[in-house]
Amino acid sequence: MPTHQTNGRSGRASVAARPFQLRGRFITAVGLRLEAESLDEAFYSMLDEQLRSAPQLLLDAPMLLDLSKVPGLTDTQQVRALVDALRARNLQVFGVENATDPQRRMAEELGLIPVLIGRDAPVEKVGADRRRKADKLLPPDNLLMTQPIRSGQVVVAERGDLTVIGSVSSGAELIASGNIHVYGNLRGRAFAGAYGDETARIFCQRQEAELLAIAGIYRTSESLGDDMRDQCLQVFLKDDGLKLEAVT
Amino acid sequence: MTTQIKEEAPLGKIIVITSGKGGVGKTTSAAAISAGLAKLGHKTVVIDFDVGLRNLDMIMGCERRVVFDFINVIQGDAKLKQALIKDKRLDTLSILPTSQTRDKDALTQEGVEAVLNELKQEFDYIICDSPAGIERGAQLAMYFADEAVVVTNPEVSSVRDSDRVLGLLASKTRRAESGAAEPVKAQVLLTRHDQGRIDRGEMMTVEDVLEILAVPLLGIIPESQAVLRASNVGTPVILDDPSNASRAYADAVARLTGEDVEMRVGDEPKPGLFQRLFGRSA
Repeated sequence: MPTHQTNGRSGRASVAARPFQLRGRFITAVGLRLEAESLDEAFYSMLDEQLRSAPQLLLDAPMLLDLSKVPGLTDTQQVRALVDALRARNLQVFGVENATDPQRRMAEELGLIPVLIGRDAPVEKVGADRRRKADKLLPPDNLLMTQPIRSGQVVVAERGDLTVIGSVSSGAELIASGNIHVYGNLRGRAFAGAYGDETARIFCQRQEAELLAIAGIYRTSESLGDDMRDQCLQVFLKDDGLKLEAVT
Repeated sequence: MTTQIKEEAPLGKIIVITSGKGGVGKTTSAAAISAGLAKLGHKTVVIDFDVGLRNLDMIMGCERRVVFDFINVIQGDAKLKQALIKDKRLDTLSILPTSQTRDKDALTQEGVEAVLNELKQEFDYIICDSPAGIERGAQLAMYFADEAVVVTNPEVSSVRDSDRVLGLLASKTRRAESGAAEPVKAQVLLTRHDQGRIDRGEMMTVEDVLEILAVPLLGIIPESQAVLRASNVGTPVILDDPSNASRAYADAVARLTGEDVEMRVGDEPKPGLFQRLFGRSA
């Protein structure tokens, strides 16, 4: 096999000498679906109006003629006139789709490709969007912990309330999008309403917390005050401040 | 996979001696507990997981007899039988020392598992002396454990670290990860207990510690000169002259084997505290 060795890397030269490479290509084409067989003045004036309203959208776009609605359109002269008119408007017609057998022969005669594959992308996209919206409407997922929460542990209730039966050690963190309930000593940190729910509350049997927070508003043990220490209480937001109230 | 391992090795029980914090008495306790178990006639081996800081063999008084170590066995340079050191005082006790020259990265999970499985065939109790901290060495020491003894001093930082370790025992062990029916059974061993300092408010009370850790109490070891003396001469405190500390360790060992032993505090027990502790342990 003759190879042009233009450089020292002879091992590669024979590979590079291959005259073509096959590459997969996806291109986006505009489908023009003909709704009626009569291609009269009204058709062209509507088309021109469409092009005026969105010139960038269709300019130089590869175009397919969708014949699904006009199986009777087999007049070669009429279609040739249509293709010429479209090309005169810078629309690059290259094929037909959903063609009947006579239409396919006609298309070949006109130098158009009868495309057998392809599908309508936008329609599917709308469906996918709807499904994604439905996914967001998940049911609440409350979390129950029946073991003590140790120092260094982080427990997160992504969607809902977090209930702990047992104590929460200092250095542990509780995070919930909803309320937090602790049936035991709360010595660690608790973040209720972690995603901004200002109606979330924290309840604990005995408060010795390092930090209490609701919807990002927090107080540390230093600012919680000694009188509320070791109490059974609830914590909630009132007038943009964290309020502690004994539960009796 | 888990069931397969259980079928292959149904015998030995793996107990990790751990704490999180350093200097609380892990190695002393590992030496005393393993010697105590051996003294009761159980075939016992104690493994030093503190790679690079070889201490256990000194406390066991066999540092001059170390030829091959745990790391040599894991890396296939020596057979397990070559590395095991038989205790001269108790023929039921063996020591698997660690390397002084390597570090904890030399430990591999597969290697540790293979050694433990081999030891399980031969021994009733495998005591793993964990290094301080919660890094690789400590995690591997606890990973395959059936039970854990969490050594704690009655002071806040030690209790906090023990709490952290209890969290790891409940999440980062094979029993926890495989969702085994029984989690690692953890008990707290309170060491350096000094009633005088507790009364002066310098140390936490036993109740305070247990209230935070929320696990059963295995024993209370009093602060004692006997512990230091025994370490210095290379004798597990339990084999040394009778002392409050050695009696407390003997009680703890008996409880570890499932015996119901009354909890007593070696240093000046007070009736009130005594009663409360008894109520807890029952």
